[in-house]
Amino acid sequence: MGTIVDIKSVSCYNEAGRPLFEDATLSFSGGERVLIIAPVASGKSVLIRMLAGLSMPDKGTVRVFGEDIASLTKEGLNKLREKMGFVFHDSVLISNLKVIENVALPLIYHRTALSYEDAMREAARLLDGTGFRGDLWGLPGMLPLYAKKEIALARALVLKPVIVVCENLWDGLTDTEKTGLSSLLLQYHESNPGSLLVFTALSDADAPHVRPHRVIRIECSMISEEIRA
Amino acid sequence: METLKTLGRELLERAKVLFEFWKIIVSTAESVLFRFNLGRKATLDVLLKQVYFTAFEALPIISWIALIIGLIIVTQALSILPRLGGEGLIGEILVWVLIRELGPVFASVIVIARSGTAMASELGLMKSSNEVSALEVMGIDPMHYLVAPRVLGTMISVFVLTFYFEAISILGGYLLAGFGKNIAFSVFVDSIMQAMGFVEVSVSLLKSLLFGLIIGTVSSYYGLRVKRSITEIPQATTKAVMGSLRLVFVTDAVITILFFI
Repeated sequence: MGTIVDIKSVSCYNEAGRPLFEDATLSFSGGERVLIIAPVASGKSVLIRMLAGLSMPDKGTVRVFGEDIASLTKEGLNKLREKMGFVFHDSVLISNLKVIENVALPLIYHRTALSYEDAMREAARLLDGTGFRGDLWGLPGMLPLYAKKEIALARALVLKPVIVVCENLWDGLTDTEKTGLSSLLLQYHESNPGSLLVFTALSDADAPHVRPHRVIRIECSMISEEIRA
Repeated sequence: METLKTLGRELLERAKVLFEFWKIIVSTAESVLFRFNLGRKATLDVLLKQVYFTAFEALPIISWIALIIGLIIVTQALSILPRLGGEGLIGEILVWVLIRELGPVFASVIVIARSGTAMASELGLMKSSNEVSALEVMGIDPMHYLVAPRVLGTMISVFVLTFYFEAISILGGYLLAGFGKNIAFSVFVDSIMQAMGFVEVSVSLLKSLLFGLIIGTVSSYYGLRVKRSITEIPQATTKAVMGSLRLVFVTDAVITILFFI
């Protein structure tokens, strides 16, 4: 399947001017499962933020669906983000929205033709699919980490994105919880064969959960690649 | 020379902040006028919550303050006017004091204290805990979803609360103070209606809308200026209150001078 993400000769530096990675060239295609392994503060969050258009590279270009993210307008970037779902390390949820509203928000905002009831039904269905068993109408603030990850994952999948990016998804979870969330993602990938799943992790200990096609390592500002399947 | 430099820097800083306020106002106007269909159910929900919290939930405190202010002004007027032979001026005095000035100003001060602080701290918390970035990656423009409905909601709320404050303070003032002074209610109302012209109502309306715009804009600006640290939130809230008060009073003075001198 065609290239969805094309990172060309990208260099990124931290605030102190130290290179996180230099002259990196990577491309991700539809249908792939990619695992990016890197130690703490080595630039994988920056890489993910670049895919989301939240950070721009210091040098080089990042193209997503053929569009150079640095040259997109705010509206263009928002349109692009509709095709992407992100689960960040801290699983940030909107604190003043109920659990179900958090999941339904992208649907209510972007799919204006969809009724409120249908959006809520879809959100409830996705939350049920993640295994979430808490109060759908409660605020998410006091929920445990796993429950927050379930909600964040349901929210990331609600617009049926082509690209799903999960940052350190398995951190702080038990093996059963890791398997639960990973199998949901694998299921999503099977039912949407053109989709691209990108995971990041500190080590490849959890790689078996998602059986990646490719493993990319960022170490000492260098990017290396390993094909697994 | 050093003093001049400091003064110049301070002025430049103030001008930059005013420009940031202007950008929020323009972005809100764009959202309301040209992008109202974008995420309309979600933004309408934020707008309704803002109006509910800022206007509806403020009604008890506004009612108490309006009654007390009405009582004070009517009592003072009725104690002074007969001695000056100006009993008939009660209507004019109430209109001059309550409708031209105190209505919009008191409604704004209450909104700043209740909702301006809440808005700045809520947005500050959302910013520091990365909720604003979370919205951005969902393709949701925070200026359109978070700021525009809050600014518009505050404008609507200050507008509604101003007229509510004016009605309660005038009627309540009569009930509490005027009732025992043998002034017939019809005479009291006639006197008010005669004193109240188009300019009085229009200026009150203009002030309330502008004050709401100022409170929403200033509170949103300071809330969103919070970066990563939670300790910045109380500072942002204080700045939002002080900035809103300063701008509301300056705008009040400017409008009063423009219309009534």
